[in-house]
Amino acid sequence: MAKKAAPSRRQLAMVFDLNKCLGCQTCSLACKTAWTTRAGMEHQWWNIVNTFPGRGTPRDVFTHGGGYTKKGEPIPGDFPGKRLWGEAWDFDYEGVFGSNRDEPIPLHPREHDGAAPQWGPNWDEDMGGGEYPNSYFFYLQQICMNCSEPACVEACPRESVYKREEDGIVLIDEERCHGYRFCAEACPYKRIYFNEQRNVAQKCISCFPRLEAGVAPACIRQCPGRVRHIDYLDNVDGHIYKLVKKWKVALPLRPDFGVEPNVYYVPPTSPLAFKDNGEFDDLNSRIPMEYLKEMFGPGVEQALATIEAEREKVAAGKKSELMDILISRNWNDLLGPFTVDPAQLQRQPVR
Amino acid sequence: MTAVTASKTSGTVEDLRSPRAAAWKNAAEVKLPLQPTPLDAQPSAYVQKAWANRERGNVPSVAVRALSVGDQLVLRLEWAAPDPRRLINDNDVYADACAVIFPSNGKDAELSTMGSPERPVTTWYWRAGAPGPFLATATGLGTVSRAAKHGLQATGEWQAGFWNVVIAGPAKSTRIGVAVWSGVSGERAGLKSHTPAWHDLKVG
Repeated sequence: MAKKAAPSRRQLAMVFDLNKCLGCQTCSLACKTAWTTRAGMEHQWWNIVNTFPGRGTPRDVFTHGGGYTKKGEPIPGDFPGKRLWGEAWDFDYEGVFGSNRDEPIPLHPREHDGAAPQWGPNWDEDMGGGEYPNSYFFYLQQICMNCSEPACVEACPRESVYKREEDGIVLIDEERCHGYRFCAEACPYKRIYFNEQRNVAQKCISCFPRLEAGVAPACIRQCPGRVRHIDYLDNVDGHIYKLVKKWKVALPLRPDFGVEPNVYYVPPTSPLAFKDNGEFDDLNSRIPMEYLKEMFGPGVEQALATIEAEREKVAAGKKSELMDILISRNWNDLLGPFTVDPAQLQRQPVR
Repeated sequence: MTAVTASKTSGTVEDLRSPRAAAWKNAAEVKLPLQPTPLDAQPSAYVQKAWANRERGNVPSVAVRALSVGDQLVLRLEWAAPDPRRLINDNDVYADACAVIFPSNGKDAELSTMGSPERPVTTWYWRAGAPGPFLATATGLGTVSRAAKHGLQATGEWQAGFWNVVIAGPAKSTRIGVAVWSGVSGERAGLKSHTPAWHDLKVG
């Protein structure tokens, strides 16, 4: 394996429960307002939520290469142009405000040169897959995966991208970065952005200044759906360990990319499919198992069976540790050791 | 090995800032052959793999003229760029660039490794569309470190298929190397055309 990142002493990990996400993008906005409002970052969405099956952001997100082969060889990737991500569009406000009832001008987004956008974040929202009555979709949240075999770290010839020893967070040192963008090519999840104005690569930083103050990342703390859990992977009493290692219902996204991501997903359950005659198909759910295996690996079948069985248990009036974790009646339980309320912190002056 | 000779000239660096300044017409031109940098030396398995079958390092030569004004060495580099990249304006766009490199001690350093901790190299780097040139030192591949203050001046002009870049700064060196990055080929970092060995630098 071509790798440079030394294993971290501990690994911070997250679990996103795809069965609870309502696609409200509060996480995206929480991140946006916290981190990507400065010059050259207007188009950056370090946290992004797309409908799947779908083409993702950038367009056809999982087809741009990067990651490793089974033998540990780096896979060449590309870094799609900004139109495939969606620029920070402008809007024809003047036309809209100047229009009248007889000749209405609808609000149109415009790219920097006035062209109509062809793609953007969550562009194919709620289109999903399948044919009625077996249509289906789910929302997929993506941030930096803080991989255990980070292809971005290996790809950088300047060692500007590094994995923190204390918690395994992957960061880009903007002082060292010369804007070569090999990291963005090598990331199979395409979670690295480029700041043209400053000629540096930028990405999700796991809200490390918040973590260091005991505060959960903004996307996690502000999620109204209680989708996101965070903790150290080695905390056997924590949600992450229990969901990933004990119950094995939280799975890596596209494990075939070979980078060992540390964001795990509880795969989407779905109702039974309809047969042609309108009866329930007792053997198949609406989301095809082949698709789920492609997304979450071979463990997905057992994970879904476990979730189903534990749901049945609760429906029969019994207790289920797994369901208690997934429901998280006490909101702070999602946050692992990061339960400090940021409103209680003394604010540091902005540099 | 062709030597680069910088004749003394009167006037100021400002007089030479334009690649079309009259003084350049009389300065001797030497053509330095360039080669692609070796791929197996790139400090990243990803870069080695991704570039194994990609065209690179195909700028065949750079024409160098040199003048010296006081303690300033003024160089004019000219190379062919039929399809220039003048600005980094997208994720997958790389700008044309050039650099001159000196042994930091003025005498010798390992050029193929961009110096070593014992014998670093100093480079002057110019990139199309960047706000100004960079002065940097390196002690090995992947270690280029830019100085906060540089005291360099540079002007680049593209015309009729050629870049002409004038770059000036204080230099006390007897050797020089040159590198050129072709933006259209996606070259950046260690992927470039370069002089594989030092050329003597004579300041008149």
